[in-house]
Amino acid sequence: MTKPILVVGAGPAGLAATHALAAVGQPSILVEKEDTLGGAPILSGYARLVPSDEWAKDAIGRMVERSVQSPLVDVREGTRITEFSGQPGNFSAKLSSGDQIEVGSAVLCTGFTHFDSVNKPEWGFGTYEDVVTTTQVEQMISSGKGVRCPSDGRKPSRVAILLCVGSRDRQIGREWCSKICCTVSSNIAMEIREELPDCHVYIYYMDIRTFGLYETKYYWRSQEEFKVKYIKSRIAEVTSDGERLIVKGEDTLVKRPITIPFDMVVHAIGMDPNVDNKNLAEVFGIDLEVNGFIDRGNSYGNMGETSRPGVFVAGAATGPETIDDSISQATAAAMAALAQVHTPDAAAAG
Amino acid sequence: MPIHEKSLIREENITVQEELVIDGVDVSGHWSTFIEPRVVTDYNEELEEEIAALPGGEYIHRCWQCGSCTNSCTVNAIDPEFNPRFWIYLIRTGMEEELLRDKERIWQCVSCNQCTYACPRDVFPEGVMKATAHWLELKGHTPKSPSMVFDEVFTEQVIATGKIEEGRTLRRFLGRTAQPLMQDWIVEMGKKLLTNLPLKMLTKMGIGSVLAPRTRGWSKAGAAIQEYQDEQQAKHRKALNLDELVAMAEQELTSQEQ
Repeated sequence: MTKPILVVGAGPAGLAATHALAAVGQPSILVEKEDTLGGAPILSGYARLVPSDEWAKDAIGRMVERSVQSPLVDVREGTRITEFSGQPGNFSAKLSSGDQIEVGSAVLCTGFTHFDSVNKPEWGFGTYEDVVTTTQVEQMISSGKGVRCPSDGRKPSRVAILLCVGSRDRQIGREWCSKICCTVSSNIAMEIREELPDCHVYIYYMDIRTFGLYETKYYWRSQEEFKVKYIKSRIAEVTSDGERLIVKGEDTLVKRPITIPFDMVVHAIGMDPNVDNKNLAEVFGIDLEVNGFIDRGNSYGNMGETSRPGVFVAGAATGPETIDDSISQATAAAMAALAQVHTPDAAAAG
Repeated sequence: MPIHEKSLIREENITVQEELVIDGVDVSGHWSTFIEPRVVTDYNEELEEEIAALPGGEYIHRCWQCGSCTNSCTVNAIDPEFNPRFWIYLIRTGMEEELLRDKERIWQCVSCNQCTYACPRDVFPEGVMKATAHWLELKGHTPKSPSMVFDEVFTEQVIATGKIEEGRTLRRFLGRTAQPLMQDWIVEMGKKLLTNLPLKMLTKMGIGSVLAPRTRGWSKAGAAIQEYQDEQQAKHRKALNLDELVAMAEQELTSQEQ
């Protein structure tokens, strides 16, 4: 009997990794710091997922169910790893619950942290109630209450979505593109137009990155079918005239200043490295890359290597990532972790 | 979505025929309004590199046209035609003719640096504005600005003596910019000096302007600064091909004389 494999984090990646291992008869221990499983899509209350259109609580809920019910997955909620030592095939970890576990290898599926919009004060979040984040709009939709202005509960008649909030911005040390916000914003824009057909939705962008097949399904469809308006402008500031929000900037394509009233302004917030990454790096003895995400080792031999042999990584822990890709990466990392336990010599040749 | 933005159409590109009949139909006056297409006939592919070679312009290549500089610009708030984002675009694409249309605006940058703090790419737009104004001067599109003349007078004196003597700086500056020495504010200052009589200061100023004091052992330092300045200026002239342009102009002049 081989030692179990440690999977850290029970989001889409962690749940995919434990499922992949269980599917081939390999026991695993799933450690999650929160009391609820499911990661960001569940904890932050996402609505319909891209690109399946399934509700997050259904799609991710099924993944949670699958791992919880498997006899091969030992789930530990509300638990952190405090110590981790040993060699590939023979690691020992101490948990915050006091338990000591012996594992063959580890897969870190520790995800990301949403950007905190308070760090861009000029865009009004924290100052005006009706300035919200994409996560809050997701919650409005998933709760079934619909998109309403937080200040007085009215239906907005004009909504502005600002892209690249906390992404592609040297002023706040976040140079990366968060990859999913363009697509998520187009999706949210369509959902708002669907619920409130009289509401005008504007998206203010620097570039649009609805990559791959998202181009037709989100960028084009939002314009052709849902009449969402895209304006090439990075907004200067969001203020208020006492009644509505005032958005100021420059429409760069027509070289004209903009001063437009809105009922609601939505920040398309990006993905930050997990706030726990420094601690994780220390506990697991692994390197972080320059922005603070978990650094990848060899990307061409074994998938999901970190700087430490026997410790693997998958999903948004390595940088902004979609749910689909997090799941594929976690499945591949589970394969590499399994090889480490079963055939260490072959794994080392990777 | 088509762009029909009237402000983008220039007066001189709109033609209207006072009297015009086509196939028996009278289309006189505004019925015959026609917009001449704007055609770009050439790009100056060196333009971005020329600006980048001047101090402040080094990071112009980072720009991705988000418009944060224009959004935050204090001058733009007063004059909407003052648009750093647009000029950076013209420079990067090499549309020199278009850029020159705004040569009387570009130098109006007040260096408040709001753009510097707003730019998500650290383009340093204030530096780009400075470099562009400098470029316009070096290429002879605009005369030397008074502040440039002042900087020169100031620097010359530092290099020569290692000191600044205010009276002399002022006289030279006013002289070179062809301004009268009897400025209203100088007269006012003179009156105040006479009524308050700060003797110590007046004596110092008097001695200073007569003796033109020098910092002891300055010649080596002065020479080093001069050498550095010459080096930099030679570098800028080379980047802008100025010596070649001057030679070409001189050749043309001599051939015309013959």
